[in-house]
Amino acid sequence: MILVSLSQFAQARSYDDIIAANEITIAVYRDFPPYSFEQNGQAKGIDIHLANAIAHGLGVKLTLLWATPGETTADDLRMYLWKGNNLHTNDGTRVKADLMLRIPYDKNYAQMRDDQGLLVHEQVHMFAPYQQERWQIAYNPNKLEQIATMAVFQYHKIGVEIDSAPQFYLTTAFNGRLRNNTKTYLDIRDAFAAMTQTNAVDAVMGIKSQIEWLHQQHPQQTHISQQTYPLFDTYKWDIGMAVGNDYRQLATPSKTYCSINLNSNIYTNGQRNLVSVISSLSYTNKSLLK
Amino acid sequence: MESIKKISCLTLAITALYSSMTIAADVTDKDLLNDQKTPENVLTNGLGLEAQRYSNIDKLTAKNVKQLRPVWAFSLGGEKQRGQESQPMINDGVMYVTGSYSRVFAIDAKTGDEIWQYDARLPDGIMPCCDVVNRGVALYGDLVIFGTLDAKLVALDAKTGKVRWKKKVADYKAGYSITAAPIVVKGKVITGLSGGEFGIVGRVIAYDAKTGAKAWERPTVEGHMGYAWQDGKKVETGISGGAPGRTWPAELWKHGGAAPWLGGTYDPDTDLLYFGTGNPAPWNSYMRPGDNLFSSSRLGIDPDDGKIVWHFQTTPHDGWDYDGVNELISFNYQENGKTVKAAATADRNGFFYVLNRTNGEFIRGFPFVDKISWAKGLDKQGRPQFDPSNRPGDPSNAKQGKTVVAAPSFLGGKNWMPMAYSQKTGLFYVPSNEWQMDIWNEPTAYKKGAAYLGAGFTIKAINEDYIGVLRAIDPKTGKVVWDYKNYAPLWGGVLTTAGGLVFAGNPEGYLMAFDDKTGEVLYKFNTGSGIVGSPVTWTMDGEQYVSVLSGWGGAVPLWGGDVAKRVKHFNQGGMVWTFKLPKS
Repeated sequence: MILVSLSQFAQARSYDDIIAANEITIAVYRDFPPYSFEQNGQAKGIDIHLANAIAHGLGVKLTLLWATPGETTADDLRMYLWKGNNLHTNDGTRVKADLMLRIPYDKNYAQMRDDQGLLVHEQVHMFAPYQQERWQIAYNPNKLEQIATMAVFQYHKIGVEIDSAPQFYLTTAFNGRLRNNTKTYLDIRDAFAAMTQTNAVDAVMGIKSQIEWLHQQHPQQTHISQQTYPLFDTYKWDIGMAVGNDYRQLATPSKTYCSINLNSNIYTNGQRNLVSVISSLSYTNKSLLK
Repeated sequence: MESIKKISCLTLAITALYSSMTIAADVTDKDLLNDQKTPENVLTNGLGLEAQRYSNIDKLTAKNVKQLRPVWAFSLGGEKQRGQESQPMINDGVMYVTGSYSRVFAIDAKTGDEIWQYDARLPDGIMPCCDVVNRGVALYGDLVIFGTLDAKLVALDAKTGKVRWKKKVADYKAGYSITAAPIVVKGKVITGLSGGEFGIVGRVIAYDAKTGAKAWERPTVEGHMGYAWQDGKKVETGISGGAPGRTWPAELWKHGGAAPWLGGTYDPDTDLLYFGTGNPAPWNSYMRPGDNLFSSSRLGIDPDDGKIVWHFQTTPHDGWDYDGVNELISFNYQENGKTVKAAATADRNGFFYVLNRTNGEFIRGFPFVDKISWAKGLDKQGRPQFDPSNRPGDPSNAKQGKTVVAAPSFLGGKNWMPMAYSQKTGLFYVPSNEWQMDIWNEPTAYKKGAAYLGAGFTIKAINEDYIGVLRAIDPKTGKVVWDYKNYAPLWGGVLTTAGGLVFAGNPEGYLMAFDDKTGEVLYKFNTGSGIVGSPVTWTMDGEQYVSVLSGWGGAVPLWGGDVAKRVKHFNQGGMVWTFKLPKS
């Protein structure tokens, strides 16, 4: 059982609109385990669970809007939250969500200004951090005893996802000495398969939850490194939600709180904050995620 | 509603057919080769496969162009109005144009009545890398062929607008898209691809224009195998560049970008296709030391099998997003009593290049914009002499780093908008822009739920009173014969005629006619929305017509900052305007 301020995620339309329509539309990333993905036609993952809990808490029906990620988060906020997407609608209607999950909660990012001094993200309101992420490495224990320092990747191959910070880092750090051992994959799952199935790489670097989720599927074959990476500018970051800013006045502290019952026996510790709830969800309840 | 509309469209189509011609005017390879010599139609993108955008029609002149009047206008309608970058095609009394969001229209060229409309159904999950524009159709046989935002080629029946064949060129889910007009050469319809930073590999792909059967595909990144389809069998036709890793480090070539997103031109004399390629991926140049072939290059490609015959790289190891896609226009000139088989291109990087089009060798190059900061000049082979202080810093190596000011901006000294070459004056008419960019590292960036290393950039005007400059340039000397300055950036194509005129539109909405020798503005007409399309001219019943699309959009309004202030009050639209002289 957790407490969340309801008014906070009911602003793309007004809270009244959502209740009147008996429906909330929540944007989640497409094909992005363990956060949001489809399995046998069913929506699964941490963010799906959270979206269900939010809709349940509001007493309305949940509609998921599957978001194809753009080049940066700013594109996603525009496409799925404040401007909407009308590429596939015949009448030009822009489809958008009331709430989008897995958006960074970072004051510097939220307050970023352009060269004219205007807020870059003035169209959205980012709030409710519920998970902390960081970069993590999983490795093949038959090939590597541990990852003492990144220098081992002068001798061992490591897989990364394309256009990710680890790819940037590994292909440029130390004057490019790790570049030749860095193999790029279109998805972190492909990188992991290259480690567990074909031995094309001895380690994989990606987002903590993704790495741990993949590790859980190969617990004997892979180990998780607790090594930290001080060279990364943003080594840890918080994930929260965002709404369109049209109803910003509703984001003021609300008197109405609603209990959201996540209806799962893993939440036995009473009230927790969302971050720890979701973290425990991601790492302990395997049945939920498979 | 839809079925009712279809019936009325069909009736109109039949009426139009009877009223215009009694024999079917199927477009042949010969027609396409002769397009520049046949004033009664416009069958190719560029008014000729060489894309000179020169018409030999001389009825409109400096003397009478002031009398030019609109005769009809046609609305592209609907709720979806974005940049209208299409060039109209005219065949057999019917005009074919495309609109934003992958739409095609057939219009009675005499009256402006709609004959049919085709709206591509775009999938739910589409997230195109680029703008939702379309730059026009290709005509062949009785087919109207165009590319869609979800990276398909669609061939429509020219009379009915019904789909005759449809091919998936690439997977839109992987980030591919098509916005350029395809080109038809020797019975094959040939297209490039657009794509973002999603790890794409550029390719030029040819299909049998009548059936849609795949003929060949040629990757535009070194290291990737090309293929041809012979008697239904897929056969290898050699690795682009011979082998991987020659100009790329590690495995970066596997996702090297270099999308040939603006399509190509063709020169029958050398029997070569000329395609330009986009910037290399990833955008951070520190990840990929080396020239990164064939990114930011012009390629001479054999239309029969897709072999790369020559290449010329305008921006090796690009770090500024200087795509090398701009059109390469074939032209001949006389020097020392000899005919030089040349081709010219005005690159995003600010240099104008004259190449030997038989082998891609550099003849000469010169700046066509006032300010170029990223390179000090070109060497004897046409290779840029980099200014290292003007390369943006390595984002993974620094905290928020210093800001680099680079000119031109990444939208280029010239972007997609095609220039024109006059056989009458021997000059190129180049729609250019004077702007620069600030680039800095942006450590506070995110992508798909993760921290990311981004670059922040903003485009700035260099001069208070103008960004756009239409320049008349002598390709033999680099001399600017005249220029016309425009407050907003120019984003539309140019047309020049044997009547001594140059036509171009501006974002302020005006279609303008200039004197080809002096640059004097002889005529202007406000079309009601910004012009980012390319004008054409043709004759019908002995009269000269001019058509252009109006509809503000394209990449310029997508960027904020200084430039946005100049253009944000421009209204969107979607109209075809057609002009002629009044009957005397």
